[in-house]
Amino acid sequence: MTAALRVKNLSVWIESRSGRIPVVDRISFSIKAGEATGLVGESGCGKTMTARAILGQLPVAGIGVSSDGIEVNGKDIYSLNARRRRALLGRDIAMIFQQPATALDPVFTIGQQIGAVYRRHFGGSQQNIRQTTLESLQSVGFSRAEDIAAAYPHQLSGGMRQLAMIAMATVCKPAVIVADEPTTALDSSSRALILQQLKHLQTLHQTAMLYISHDLSVVRQACRDVMVMYCGRIMETTDCQSLFTHARHPYSAGLLACIPQLGATRPAAISSIPGQVPGAADLPGGCHFAPRCSRAEARCRESVPVMTDEDGCGAACFRPL
Amino acid sequence: MTMSMTGPMTMPGAAETTPLLELRDLCLSFQRQEHVAVDRVSLKITAGRTLGLVGASGAGKSSIARAILGLLKPDSGEILFKGENINRMNPRQLKMARQRIQLVFQEPSASLSPRRTVEQTLLEPLQHFAIGSAHQQREKTLQSLQTVGLDQSALKRYPHQFSSGQQQRIAIARALVTSPELLIADEAVAALDVSIQAQILQLIQQLQRDFGITFLFISHDLAVIRQIADEVAVMYRGQVLEQSPADRFFSRPAHPYSRILLTFAGGGTPQNWTSDKWNLERNRNAGHRAAACVFAGFCPEKMTVCENTEPVLRYIQQADLHGQGPHCVKCHLYDEVESNEYRENEL
Repeated sequence: MTAALRVKNLSVWIESRSGRIPVVDRISFSIKAGEATGLVGESGCGKTMTARAILGQLPVAGIGVSSDGIEVNGKDIYSLNARRRRALLGRDIAMIFQQPATALDPVFTIGQQIGAVYRRHFGGSQQNIRQTTLESLQSVGFSRAEDIAAAYPHQLSGGMRQLAMIAMATVCKPAVIVADEPTTALDSSSRALILQQLKHLQTLHQTAMLYISHDLSVVRQACRDVMVMYCGRIMETTDCQSLFTHARHPYSAGLLACIPQLGATRPAAISSIPGQVPGAADLPGGCHFAPRCSRAEARCRESVPVMTDEDGCGAACFRPL
Repeated sequence: MTMSMTGPMTMPGAAETTPLLELRDLCLSFQRQEHVAVDRVSLKITAGRTLGLVGASGAGKSSIARAILGLLKPDSGEILFKGENINRMNPRQLKMARQRIQLVFQEPSASLSPRRTVEQTLLEPLQHFAIGSAHQQREKTLQSLQTVGLDQSALKRYPHQFSSGQQQRIAIARALVTSPELLIADEAVAALDVSIQAQILQLIQQLQRDFGITFLFISHDLAVIRQIADEVAVMYRGQVLEQSPADRFFSRPAHPYSRILLTFAGGGTPQNWTSDKWNLERNRNAGHRAAACVFAGFCPEKMTVCENTEPVLRYIQQADLHGQGPHCVKCHLYDEVESNEYRENEL
């Protein structure tokens, strides 16, 4: 079975006077139809750049991209020209953004905006478009779809806007959806609902999902597989369950320890990863995580560890846990 | 905490100290009382402790924070800071009180002025309140910067030159320069990555330990509240439905709404929780004041009485001598709890 999304050797860099500053460093992965993979890491790790590159929103002035191919259902979209690629956006591959408030247009109703996506790709009669729009709104859980379709974005709460945005992303039933921090701006009850609806649509349409988040607990709820990213490199790739029971890379373990726990007793101390993500311009040599890593030794600072691979799981670390 | 106006003396079993901050029957509404944002809220925060205020977006948490700072004027009710009513203070007294109450916002990038250096940002509160000489003010800014884990080199830089975690540290440093007794953190870690969030929570714990600062910590995230709160108050549509010491709350949440929140926070979904229900809840105006429980429409344990009588806030566990606050809940499920009963209407 071919993967619904396959990314080969994707790199993104910023052009600067002193040369290329790497933002995403030769990453490769694939997602099968109907499955969900999470891409996790702190802000500034290159997660969103990865998403933008996949969707073909890069290169732009000052930012370069290279790849051996980005395939959606076996069709390479990386080598397409801009016009051809745009014809696929929304139909074969769609994106859900972090801030529905800014991603939706304030001067059009929700119905108009969803309808526009469908019309762009499939055309059809007014009535047909309207019917599809309403069905799409119903599929994300709105029982009174007409009211939502007639509403402007500002009339909806944050969670409802995000649901409307999901309806817009799924109206053409794309093979791949990239969800960039889909629940970060929401409270916990909205978050649970959004993840539930996305999961439902994923099974229903056999969509391949790429979740991008800084929060491992979101990825745990939504995904089967997970990639942990740091400074543009994949540090660990594994399935969610093994990550939570036995993280191999010290960075993954650090991220896990940061998740606040609910419990009958208050935790004695909060743990965190010391330091912060270095800027793309001053990345340390060797393993990028070495300066923040408690297990680092001399070779970690000198050479880059390669990803081990055992049945698709692995960690790029000299001293895995 | 009590629903009535009778003050601390009538609190059975409570420690007889004036709380640092007390809200009594606070009501606040917008648009000519059409939207009730805060509905008869009474809360107490003891000096040196952290009260975690939880609720979904739109529950009225931030309105309370704004009222305490005097940015919103309450319709009725009292806000007492060290026993003094903030709304009856003269301008000079108010200015003094303001020095002692500071706020940290959710979005550090929006709450710091992009055109001021960190030094200018930190000096401003000191200049406004005319605290110390110019030399002392400089000392003070450096001190508070060091407290939050940044060094001198940060002083001459602008906010955009820092990461979001560092920006939040600067916002906290700004709040600290006037040596406040009460810090209100309004979703102060919600916009941050989990790893940075953990660092800021560590910082807050350290501030409390080193300076005995009292915190009103507002968040929609119960897992974050669990890390730092001594007491928890749950808000829903402007009302406080439950208040309890944190350990008790997380082991024995009493209100059905609290239990739902905890289920969500644990990554689950409560039974019978459909998106229709959720949509409806979001759509409804926060401030209806019918003779019913505010949560009745969505309560999985709803009884007939819930729809025609508003429950009163009842003590189900008294404050103890070790400084643990009482556990009270506003729900008809506890109407029959006789042992520790405390009826506000008898007072």
